Amino acid sequence: MAIADPSNVTMNLPRRDARDKLLGRTRYTVDRMLPRMLHAAILRSEVASARILKIDITRARQMPGVRAIALSEDAPGMHGIGIADHPLFASGVIRFHGEQIAAVAADTYEQAQAAARAIEVELEPLPIVLTMADALAPGARLVHPDWKNYEVLFEGGARGGNVAWEATVVRGDTEAAFARDDVVVVESCFRVGRQNHVSLEPRAVVASYEDGRYHIETSTQVPWTVRNMTAKLLGVLASQVHVTVPPVGGGFGQKFDCTLEPYAAILARKSGQPVRLVYSRQEEMLTCLCRENAEIKIRSAVTKSGDIAGREAVVLMDCGAYGGEQIFLTTMTAHTLGGNYKLGSVKLASRAVYTNTPPNGAFRACNGVYNTFALERHTDEICQAMGMDPLEFRRRNVLGDGDLGATGQVFEGDVLGPMLDRMEKLREASHSKEPLAGGRLYGRATVVGTWFIFVGPSTATINLNADGSATLITAGVELGQGTMVQALPQIVAHELGIHPNDVIVRNADTDAAGFDLGVGGGRTTVSVGAASLAAAADVRNKILHTASELLQTQPERLVLRNGRVEIAGIEGSGMTIAKAVQHAHRLTGPVVGSGSFTNPGVPAMPGCAAGHFIDAIDIPVFNVHDCEVAVDPDTGHVEILSYKVVQDVGRALNPRAIHGQIQGGVTQGLGYALHEEHTIGEDGCIRQDSLETYRVPLALDTVPVEIDLYEGAPSIGPLGAKGAGEVPILNPPAAVACAIANATGCRVQQLPLTPPRVLGLLLGREPAVELPHIKIVSQLAAGLPPAIDLTPFRADRF
Amino acid sequence: MSLRLVVNGEDRVSRAEPLTPLVDVLRDEFHLTGAKVACREGFCGACTVHIDGQPVVSCLVPLGMVEGREVRTVESLAAAGELSPLQRIMEEHDVVQCGMCFPGILMVLTSFFREHPRAERGEIKVALVGNICRCTGYERLVDAAVALAKRS
Amino acid sequence: MPGQNGERFHAATSLTDAIAALADRGSAGAALAGATWIMRAPLRHERRDLSYVAISKIDELRRLDILDREISIGACVTHAELASSLGSLPECRALAQAAVNSANPAVRNVATIGGNLCASAFAAADLVPALICLDAELEIEGAKGSERMTVKRFLEVRTGIGPDRLVRRVIVPRTARRSAHIRLPLRKAGDYPVAIVSLAATLNPTGVVESARVAVGSVEPVARRWEQLETSLVGHSLDPRRAAEQAERFCGDFLGREGVEAPGWYRVKVLPSLVRRAVLALQEQS
Ligand SMILES: Cc1cc2nc3c(=O)[nH]c(=O)nc-3n(C[C@H](O)[C@H](O)[C@H](O)COP(=O)(O)OP(=O)(O)OC[C@H]3O[C@@H](n4cnc5c(N)ncnc54)[C@H](O)[C@@H]3O)c2cc1C
Ligand code: FES
Ligand code: FES
Repeated sequence: MAIADPSNVTMNLPRRDARDKLLGRTRYTVDRMLPRMLHAAILRSEVASARILKIDITRARQMPGVRAIALSEDAPGMHGIGIADHPLFASGVIRFHGEQIAAVAADTYEQAQAAARAIEVELEPLPIVLTMADALAPGARLVHPDWKNYEVLFEGGARGGNVAWEATVVRGDTEAAFARDDVVVVESCFRVGRQNHVSLEPRAVVASYEDGRYHIETSTQVPWTVRNMTAKLLGVLASQVHVTVPPVGGGFGQKFDCTLEPYAAILARKSGQPVRLVYSRQEEMLTCLCRENAEIKIRSAVTKSGDIAGREAVVLMDCGAYGGEQIFLTTMTAHTLGGNYKLGSVKLASRAVYTNTPPNGAFRACNGVYNTFALERHTDEICQAMGMDPLEFRRRNVLGDGDLGATGQVFEGDVLGPMLDRMEKLREASHSKEPLAGGRLYGRATVVGTWFIFVGPSTATINLNADGSATLITAGVELGQGTMVQALPQIVAHELGIHPNDVIVRNADTDAAGFDLGVGGGRTTVSVGAASLAAAADVRNKILHTASELLQTQPERLVLRNGRVEIAGIEGSGMTIAKAVQHAHRLTGPVVGSGSFTNPGVPAMPGCAAGHFIDAIDIPVFNVHDCEVAVDPDTGHVEILSYKVVQDVGRALNPRAIHGQIQGGVTQGLGYALHEEHTIGEDGCIRQDSLETYRVPLALDTVPVEIDLYEGAPSIGPLGAKGAGEVPILNPPAAVACAIANATGCRVQQLPLTPPRVLGLLLGREPAVELPHIKIVSQLAAGLPPAIDLTPFRADRF
Repeated sequence: MSLRLVVNGEDRVSRAEPLTPLVDVLRDEFHLTGAKVACREGFCGACTVHIDGQPVVSCLVPLGMVEGREVRTVESLAAAGELSPLQRIMEEHDVVQCGMCFPGILMVLTSFFREHPRAERGEIKVALVGNICRCTGYERLVDAAVALAKRS
Repeated sequence: MPGQNGERFHAATSLTDAIAALADRGSAGAALAGATWIMRAPLRHERRDLSYVAISKIDELRRLDILDREISIGACVTHAELASSLGSLPECRALAQAAVNSANPAVRNVATIGGNLCASAFAAADLVPALICLDAELEIEGAKGSERMTVKRFLEVRTGIGPDRLVRRVIVPRTARRSAHIRLPLRKAGDYPVAIVSLAATLNPTGVVESARVAVGSVEPVARRWEQLETSLVGHSLDPRRAAEQAERFCGDFLGREGVEAPGWYRVKVLPSLVRRAVLALQEQS
């Protein structure tokens, strides 16, 4: 069968949704209004740890406008990822400041708030487990004393006490590597804070209850997760929940979980009216499912010639009061902290730790961003200790064709090496910005990063319409990343020989589209794209067969181009696709095709990884970033002088859109590197409760990113594509931190590098991060056997 | 109590309390949902509208203060359905992502360009200091604005 | 109790009307100027259940008069109006810079000088140190007449001037001085400054400082003069390095306030470098 020219799939197709967004007409979930719609408010705990003695709603129920109140008995189920440890409402105990106690629906939002305040709650305070060090201290109070009885949703992780989950990697004999007499051992510690997504559209939902089913219109990245989780929490059949998704005003991972939808659903059923629940910015700040705060201890045994003979590391990830995404994310350490470089042997432990703090969640390049910061700073500390050039060291050690990853997977193709060369060209092409530093300290760094495409199940259906257009039905969501309005219609149009504008893209609707893992992990282009491509191929087959009969020509000799079915090589021959479809209506019925995609399954080395949700990464994605900074020695202010990116994109389907993702992702990464942090007060409450104190980058805080898209690396994605939206945020904190370390000569161990922190480093008043609660006994000199506390947690130790 | 104001050229009457933030009146009462509420603290700029031609954050303006005044929202920028030059250049450069910030950015830049039609890149960035965009990283939308300034 | 007719919002038409309305409401009432502070009360967990008397439509309060010997600024003049009216006056540069660099354009279009002075919990107010260094005075108006006082005095008594009095205008004397306002936000711009140094000085023909005023804002809960540093500047020519060294010596005068955004030590530690920049700015205004 003739294949359409693949070159025309690549184009700078503009977004079709831009115009209405510019006109202010786009109706996001926050803009939806339904007749008789009620407004909901949540009563939240103002303490971090307590026993609930009594909840009395008598007074609240009588307040003006109140239509329904939801409490823990309305949601008997527990949810979670890996472990079902999370109830919808605090039941019996409060585990974090901000935890949901009740939800109220009333005629107005103010009435709902007033009624929520009128609910009487009697609490008996309990001690707080504030930090991971507290949580892991001997005899620490358990955040979940009942952890053994929770339903396990995914087998394999070691668990115990305040350790919600542990994933480990062991490949080769690190003890032997560290004991060699020809190695230098370098150990580093790092600590990072929490990052808030600050999507401009907060989490929002409008729910109704109609004909015995819940209809949930929500601002989410994961319609199917919302459907299934809501059902589980409410104790109803999943088929009773119907989820649709209007345009989403930013997600970045925050909306990769089911969060507020079940409250609205319960209230809608109880009141019989539609219910709107929109979190205020303050609620978003105080209970955001942040990128988790983490602590990393890493050490390496490096030979004199610069090979990494052994690497050991422990990563503690604060999951907050409930396991959530962090349980899954323990998996990522193997592929991020364990990535980038060839390792002779490796031993890693990644633990999600319970504390009495707001739960964390997924954030663009989850876990990878801080592990890459740690890995790249550690790499520079190695180079410093050994007197090696950081670029040379990286060139020598980056993963190439046939090299083994941490879990023993075999990497395919030389990618990082050639990308480093491309970065060198990019650096040479422009002058150093050093003169702009003036009297300030100047520094530069080039860093590398390994990320991946999160694949997994997706499905697509395409109706080829009698007017020659195609309707693509998937559960993909348009968050702003553009995939649904650019890459997907481009892929389908290319296969069907029509213009992408003639591909209608259906908004996500779980009643119309089949299962999908959701939008995140850079998977939309790849997984939804591959399913869409398969569906388009199915449709293409069918239409070619119909046309073949009409045109009396073998299908192999037919091509689809310019909206026509043509005989190959004879332009204008054949018939329009519309005509062919109209014939099909009479002959065989409407033309519809479907396609599915899931995990292709790249193998890891047996026995290397324990407790991992993904043992090996199906589609690696690599980055090389370079950054120049100027540091003001008087105030600690850091200015980014230049920023360069070489990004592995497989194949750039829409280069302009990818540039947009890179500029945006780098800027978000600069925010995390320099300004953004949530810290937690003694009372367990997040201290930055507004955009006044939580500072995201503004227009003056970023620079135009110089971009080189690296094409041609192996990818099983459709047409060789890889997701490009997630990975740009992976490296900026690493690049900036290494550049600041180079500029100042200070040991940079923490993020964000705010002016007070940088000045503290320069003045020597910033205490070193030591992490004594993470045990890596490395005193070779003391004659102790090198050992890392990697013994998987065993329940009986607690 | 009722209060008169002019919204996008039309006389309107609101029955809301005078301390109600203007943005809520626009969105909930007049169904003009172009202006977005993203912080209610004056830092994000998503709710920016014009009052008597000047950009203000409508989340911090009590309705009582706009009595008899003229309010313009993003919905009024495309006169008779034609995109304004600023809207058009943003569309041409394909800089929109989730789009939540654009109503505010457009309102700020529209009045800024009225006073500084030939503004430089740096001045444009300074003018945008009250507008948070979490998606785009600004530079590409600034490129588009610079292209517009160069045309005039 | 809200006003007689129960209304929570009264748009005053004249100063007399405003004062009468405030008197009427007593402790349940308050003036509302640009509203940018008041509207955020819920976020600060403060009450916003007062009855407000809007004063921003009172013509007299919106006037800015540049007279021979002084500048008279009505309490409801906005940051944006300050910036555009004073931009060309060298002797008021500190105030113009404070106005033009504070907040963001949309907020500057409504926030007022009176509100900036009266928001007593607002440590980072830009206009306050600028006004202190310019020796500005305030006129307070009430049912029992008016009273004039220095900014310093006002800052001491401001929480107690009400309920039936309000700031009518700010008077900035005109002298042949140079001035500058150096603010340090944590980002490039767009946030509250973590520390502010406002500096004004008169120089004799040979360039020696005859008198100096240094005001420090945002470091402590309330802005104030840095008298020791002022004294040490007098009698010397403008020398940024020397000024910074002097500032370093006298930093102990300040106890920085701890905040979510910056620790107290930081606010104090950056003062010498802000002083250096301020002196440099004065040097450049020849
Ligand atoms: C996002 C944002 C950023 C900001 N950044 C800065 C900044 O960097 N620097 C800066 O200086 N400011 C900044 N501001 C402004 C500042 O925070 C105050 O909001 C503003 O100065 C208050 O002025 P207003 O006219 O809005 O006061 P209002 O909110 O109307 O009133 C404030 C207080 O003053 C009282 N009051 C007002 N006028 C009078 C009067 N004439 N007599 C007696 N009492 C009166 C009121 O009763 C109230 O208690 C920012 C504001 C916002 C929203
Ligand atoms: S909502 Fe008004 S400035 Fe953010
Ligand atoms: S495009 Fe999403 S916030 Fe700007």
